[in-house]
Amino acid sequence: MSVNKIKVTVNNKVFEEEIDSRLLLVDFIRENLGLTGTHVGCDTTNCGACTVLLDGKPVKSCTVFALQANGKSITTIEGLSHGKEMHPIQKAFLDKNGLQCGYCTAGMIMIAHWLIRKNPEATRDEIREAISGNLCRCTGYDSIVDSIQEASQNMIPEEEEDITAGQRGR
Amino acid sequence: MSTIEEIVQGKGKFVDDIVLPGMQHMSVIRSNYSRGKILGISGGYTFKDFPAYMSSVGEGASEGEKNMREPVLADKYVNYIGEPVAAVLGKNRYEAEDLSEKVEIEIEPLTPMMDPEKSIDAPPVYPYMKSNIYKKVTLGRDFRTDGFEVEIEGHFNNRRVATNPIEPRGIVAAYEDNQLTVWISTQSVHSIKEGLSEVLSMPEDNIRVIQADTGGAFGLKGGLYSEYALAAFLAKKTGKPVKWIESRREHLMASRPGRGTSAFVKLYANRSGRILGMKGKVIVDSGAYSGGSGEFAARFVGMQMTGPYKIENAYVEAYPVFTNKVVQGPYRGAGRPEAHFFIERMIDMLADKLKMDPVDVRLINTVNSEFKSPLGMDVPPAKEFLEEAISKLNYRKLYKEKPGFAFFVLVPAFQPGETARIKIENNEVKVWLGGNTHGQRHDIFVKTLVNEGLGINRDLVHLQLGDTSMLKSGIGSWGSRSAMVGGMAVHEACKKIKQAFIAKNGIYSADALLKEGADEFVHWRGEGTMNSLGCNLVTCEVNDRGQVKVKECAAYYDVGRALSPEVVRGQVSGGMAQGIGQTLYEEIMYSDDGQLLTASIADAGVPIASQLPEYKVLLSNTRSNLATGAKGVGESPTIGVPIALSRAIENVTGVKITETPIRQELLLRSMKH
Ligand code: FES
Ligand code: FES
Repeated sequence: MSVNKIKVTVNNKVFEEEIDSRLLLVDFIRENLGLTGTHVGCDTTNCGACTVLLDGKPVKSCTVFALQANGKSITTIEGLSHGKEMHPIQKAFLDKNGLQCGYCTAGMIMIAHWLIRKNPEATRDEIREAISGNLCRCTGYDSIVDSIQEASQNMIPEEEEDITAGQRGR
Repeated sequence: MSTIEEIVQGKGKFVDDIVLPGMQHMSVIRSNYSRGKILGISGGYTFKDFPAYMSSVGEGASEGEKNMREPVLADKYVNYIGEPVAAVLGKNRYEAEDLSEKVEIEIEPLTPMMDPEKSIDAPPVYPYMKSNIYKKVTLGRDFRTDGFEVEIEGHFNNRRVATNPIEPRGIVAAYEDNQLTVWISTQSVHSIKEGLSEVLSMPEDNIRVIQADTGGAFGLKGGLYSEYALAAFLAKKTGKPVKWIESRREHLMASRPGRGTSAFVKLYANRSGRILGMKGKVIVDSGAYSGGSGEFAARFVGMQMTGPYKIENAYVEAYPVFTNKVVQGPYRGAGRPEAHFFIERMIDMLADKLKMDPVDVRLINTVNSEFKSPLGMDVPPAKEFLEEAISKLNYRKLYKEKPGFAFFVLVPAFQPGETARIKIENNEVKVWLGGNTHGQRHDIFVKTLVNEGLGINRDLVHLQLGDTSMLKSGIGSWGSRSAMVGGMAVHEACKKIKQAFIAKNGIYSADALLKEGADEFVHWRGEGTMNSLGCNLVTCEVNDRGQVKVKECAAYYDVGRALSPEVVRGQVSGGMAQGIGQTLYEEIMYSDDGQLLTASIADAGVPIASQLPEYKVLLSNTRSNLATGAKGVGESPTIGVPIALSRAIENVTGVKITETPIRQELLLRSMKH
C-alpha cells in the first residue's frame, strides 16, 4: 500500500488527506468525506450513478483514482443547494417526477448541470444523447428529459459559473 | 424514509450509506464454473463453518424439493457460476477483496446442463432426482383435437433477464445481546426476517429487520439470498457488524433473474377466427436449486395462457426444470409477460393464417361478461374495453404505420391482502405498510388515503420505512399490489381510528384526534381476485443494420381509480422501458459450456435514454369495487409492450418473431433479402 497526500476542493471546501494510492475517487468522496449522495451502481463505468464534476467536467468517479483529483476541484450533489434553497435542477426533478427510487438521481443531476451550461437550448434528443452514459431503471427516462428541459429554462447562466469553478465561496 | 426532497439533494440513506462502529466488509468467493466437484478449499469461511440451507420466502416462494435446496455456501458440488463457496471479512472493501484473492478453491469441472428444453428429457443430473423436472404441473383438461378447421402451432421463448435495479443488493448486519439487527434494501422486511430466522435457526423475536431507502428492486429484493444469511451469520460469529454490497458483476451472475420461460403452443380455431381450443407445454428455466420462483412460475404462467379470450377448451402442462444456472426469481411481471407473449403471438399468427386483421381476431374472441377460463383465471368483461382501447389508441388510423397490438389480463397478487399501522402522536401521523416502497412513491397514496379517511393535512402524514419492530406482520411489495391492498389496509385503519374516536368523543374532529393520538394495526384481507385489463400499441422502424427504433409506444390501461395519476404515469413509463429492453436488448447469456457472457450491465442490455421513445399513457378511470377504487398497474407495461413491439417488428420486416430479445442478427439477415 502506498500512501499519498492529496489536496482537493470539494463543494468549495478544501480537504487535505492521506490516502492509499489505489483509492477510487468515489470511495474517497463517500467514505473519507462522508458525502454519500454520490452512488455506486455498477463499478464498471456504465451506469453514471457516481457522476461528479471534476473542474467542471463530468467524470464517473468509480473509474478515477482519488489521486487524479489532486489539486482539482470537485462538485458533488451535496454542493448544489444554497443552504436550504434547492438548485433549479433539483427543483425541476421534483416538479417533473424526474425520480422514483432516486438512486440514479445524483448522477443525472450532475450530468444535467454540465449539459445545461454547455448547451442551454438542448433539444429533447440532445438531452437524451447527453444522459446516455447514465442509467435509470425506474423512470423510462422521459420524466428525466422533462426535468432537464424545465431546469434549463429556469437556470440563469452566469450564476452557474460559480458552482463548478468551485474556487470562490458564496 | 428519506423524503423525496432529501433524496434529490443527496441526503438519502441507502444501505451502502450506513456505517457502524467496527463494521467489517464481507467479500464472497464464488464458483467460476457452472458445474463442478469441489476438491478442496483453503481459507475463508465455508460450508463447514456454516452448514445451512436456504429458505424460500417472499414472492413466488415454494416449499421446494428437500434434496435440492440451495446450501448457503456450496457443499461438495458447485451448480452455477457465481455460486457462493466461501466468504472473508476485511476492514474495508479493498482489504476484503485482497483477502478473497488468497482463498483457493479447487474445482473439477463437470459438463453443465444449460438448456432447459434439453434438460426436460435428459437423465437427471442428480441421482436422487427422478428427472430434471422439479414438479410437473397440469392445468385444465386435455381434449380431442380432430375436427377443428384450423390448427396452428408455435414455439416461443422469453430468455432470462436480470432485474438490474441501479442500486444493487446490500445488507448491514449487527449482533448484540442475542439480538440480530439487519438493515437492508428490500421489498419486504417480514420475508427477510422469516427467512433469516429459518436459516440461522433463530427465533423470529430475536431478529429485527429495518429497511434502508431502497433504490429499485423489480422483484429482485423480495426474498432471501445466501449473502444475507452469510452476513448475519458472520455478524453473530464475530460479534462485529458486517456489511455486504453486491457488485454489478455479482448481480449478473448470482442474483435471481426473471423470465427464462419457453412454450410450445397449439391453437385450434374455425375459419372465421373463433378460437376453440388451446394446448400448451411450458418450460421454466428454474436453475440449479429448488425453492426459487420456478415452481410457482410454472403454474402461474400456465394459468394465464388463454389471455383475455373466451377459449372454452384449454390444457397446459408446465415443467419447472433444473439447469446449471442461478435459480430463477421474479422480475417485474413474473410470469404474466411470458404467458401473454405466448398466447398473443399465437393470435397474431392465427390472424396471418386467416388473412384477418389481428385486432379483429381479438374482438371475435372476447365477450362482455366475466369468464372463468378452463385454466382457472378470472377474465373481466373484455369486449367493450378492447373496443375502447382500439379507438383510444388510434389503431385503425395508424394502420398504415403497421402497428403491433397487445391485449392482456393483469392478475395482481391480491391475496392475502396486506397490513398497515397508523400511529398518531405529537400532531403527526406515521404509517407503516407491510409492503415496502422501493421507488414507487407509496408515500403519495398513503397521504391521499389518510387525508380522505381522517381529514388530516397531507403534510402531517409520513410513510415510514419497513421495520419489523414497528409492524408486527406484513407481506411485501410486488405483483402490482401495493396501492390496491396496502391502500385498503390504510383505508381500514383510518376507518377504525375514526370509529373509535367517535365512540369515545361523540363527534369527529381531525384536530382533536391529532392531539389525542391513536395507534391502529390492520391486516386487510383480499378475497377473490382483482384482475384488470390493458392494451398496448407500438409502431417502429427498422434500419438496414437491423436496428429498431420505437416510434409510437402507447398504453391504455384500466388502473381503477389512479390514486396519484403522476405516479401511475411514471410506473407505466418505467415499465415500458423495461418492456422495450426485454424485447430488443436484455438477456443473461451463457456459452454452451456455461461461461457467463453478459458480465456488465451494458452487456446485459439495460436500455439507455437515446434508445427509448416518448410514451403515451392513457388510463381508463373506472373504480374497482374496493373502497379506495384502486386496481393494479405496475407490471402492465412489461406484459403488453413486448407483445406489441414484437408484432410491429414482424409487420415492418416480415421476420417471424418467436423469442425475446429479438437479436439484431436475426433482423439483419432478413433485411438482406
Ligand atoms: S458506478 Fe460508476 S459508472 Fe456505475
Ligand atoms: S429513479 Fe430509480 S434508477 Fe432512476
